[in-house]
Amino acid sequence: MPIETTVVGSYPKPPDEGQPFTVRKTLHALERGDATAADVASAQDELVRAVIAEQEEAGIDLVTDGHARWDDILTPFARRMAGFEIGGLLRWFDNNVYYRRPICTGEIEWRGPASVDAFKFAASVASKPVKAVIPGPVTFARLSVDEHYGRHEDLVLAIARVLAQEAFELEAAGARVIQIDEPALVDAPEDLELAKDAIYLITDQLESTETTLATYFDDAKRLGPQIFDIRVDCFGFDLIAGPENMQLIRELPSEKKLQAGIVDARNTKLEDEDGLVREIEELAGIVGESCLRVSPSAGLEFLPREKARAKLQRLAAAARRVGG
Amino acid sequence: MIAENRLEGVAKLPGPGLWTTSVGSFPKPDYITKARARFARKEIDREVLRELERKATREWIEFQDSIDTDLVVDGEQYRGDMVAFFAEELPGFEIGGLVRSYGNRYYRKPIATGPIRRDAPLTVDWWEYAQSLTKKPVKGMLTGPYTICDWSFNEHYPSRRDFVLDLAKVIRDEALDLERAGARYIQIDEPAASTRMDELDLVIEAMAIVTEPLTAHTITHICYGDFHNAYPKMLDIPVDQIDLEFANSEYSLLEDFSDHPFSKYIGLGVTDVHSHELEPVDEIVEGIRRSLKHIPPERMFVDPDCGLKTRTVDEAKAQLANIKKAVDVVRAEL
Repeated sequence: MPIETTVVGSYPKPPDEGQPFTVRKTLHALERGDATAADVASAQDELVRAVIAEQEEAGIDLVTDGHARWDDILTPFARRMAGFEIGGLLRWFDNNVYYRRPICTGEIEWRGPASVDAFKFAASVASKPVKAVIPGPVTFARLSVDEHYGRHEDLVLAIARVLAQEAFELEAAGARVIQIDEPALVDAPEDLELAKDAIYLITDQLESTETTLATYFDDAKRLGPQIFDIRVDCFGFDLIAGPENMQLIRELPSEKKLQAGIVDARNTKLEDEDGLVREIEELAGIVGESCLRVSPSAGLEFLPREKARAKLQRLAAAARRVGG
Repeated sequence: MIAENRLEGVAKLPGPGLWTTSVGSFPKPDYITKARARFARKEIDREVLRELERKATREWIEFQDSIDTDLVVDGEQYRGDMVAFFAEELPGFEIGGLVRSYGNRYYRKPIATGPIRRDAPLTVDWWEYAQSLTKKPVKGMLTGPYTICDWSFNEHYPSRRDFVLDLAKVIRDEALDLERAGARYIQIDEPAASTRMDELDLVIEAMAIVTEPLTAHTITHICYGDFHNAYPKMLDIPVDQIDLEFANSEYSLLEDFSDHPFSKYIGLGVTDVHSHELEPVDEIVEGIRRSLKHIPPERMFVDPDCGLKTRTVDEAKAQLANIKKAVDVVRAEL
């Protein structure tokens, strides 16, 4: 059977060289008062259409909307729920990219879905299944400032309860795959038990949706095979920044799936197709073809547009050569 | 220990210490921003842009002289991105496509596609021009090899270390050319050094290549998020001076100096460059007085926290003026 391909989430917003950069231009116009929020949404719709088309044309089986409407993975959710203010810019892990730090100033409460409309739009323009992506509660808490709860666990669980509602609404809107991003968890083994509880709050709400726990920017060896106690269906590992993830992969329980990040999302150098084929064959040999999904190592927004597209094409071409 | 020959530059500065300076960049006046955009659209040619950049440089040097700044900067009116400025001129780099930094801000990230070499000096002409405009010493300003590597894509080198060390040789050669031209103060900025603590040894190794043959007074600036974990190891970076941000951390760095004395020259950052609010003179005076309990005036430069390019011209001038006033107050007490 063919090896399934997917993406981790983000996709470059700029166009190919020389093409008009409508989203950027419209946002500048909005600042000057020459455009409305509706104009921005419209430009973003166009970008989502293009981003989904590119993934599908490249041969990707499970697509995302490229986070085209998001500046970072936390802000859209922090803005929507009660209890957070949006703070200053901080470096996003070890990248030359910045996110706005959420500040918890009060009781965290659900005020409605943050990502459902965007998901519905993406699903309406895609012919392949669309994966919904939400931030994980441990990462969310660790990247925020807590001025209200005082105890880390309380903050994590409060966030998890809201994210559980979000996941429920996403499923109701038709999402069949939901990815929970926990890049901060790999450096926080002391939070593993808490992560299990918090993520179970989210996945317990779901009837038939497949869930993925995505990690990236490092290996998860400090968590060890106990990571597989987290109640999700699929585990995503970054094999570029975390080659030592291979040891963990060998311990993947047989009923779980693997989302293997094998193409470097943070460097432009294009991987050799034969090398990718060998790597995919090795992974398929360990976890089984039907339990394997291959992807870039992290979100592709670190790359210029043409390079990201080339990486997807290369990934899909290699995947097609493996499996029956 | 600071080598005797490296005191030569500092010995030329007047008084018992507590000198005023800037980290490096100044805001670009509107006419420069417009000219850069027009140049990008090919509406004006390079020489027209150059002439305006020289004018803006003159204006900033005149301002620094008007407030009697001790160690002057050229204000980088001719530079955009601090990595692209070097990468655009170094064979081995291609200029890449747009990538996002945050929000709606994008930049072109260079790609190393071959071995990085330097054909000709990149900063000496501007340094010589700036120095011709003032009697005060002007700093030579370079971006460090670790930062150039970290903020580029690598399609050539087998490892980050190989990339960083090749860049270090290039930056070293540029520093030597600045020294030959007469620069006695050379700054090698490494803002990327605070990204990951486990590569601090590589930062140190690369800086050693850059500074080893130099006799000028060497400075580095690193914006530290997590200073506590980087100190005192940062004292191993082979430079004479480190510029640090005190204003945006309410001088909390001083607590670390109690356990491990700060043994180098310091660039004491006393105004927050990311804020529209201006620190009043007496607040800056208090900050300097607190800091003098840990570092003597003969090893202290006072400046804004970081480069001023994100402020307006008026905000930048106001910060520098307040710093000067505060330093005058404290100098009178020494």
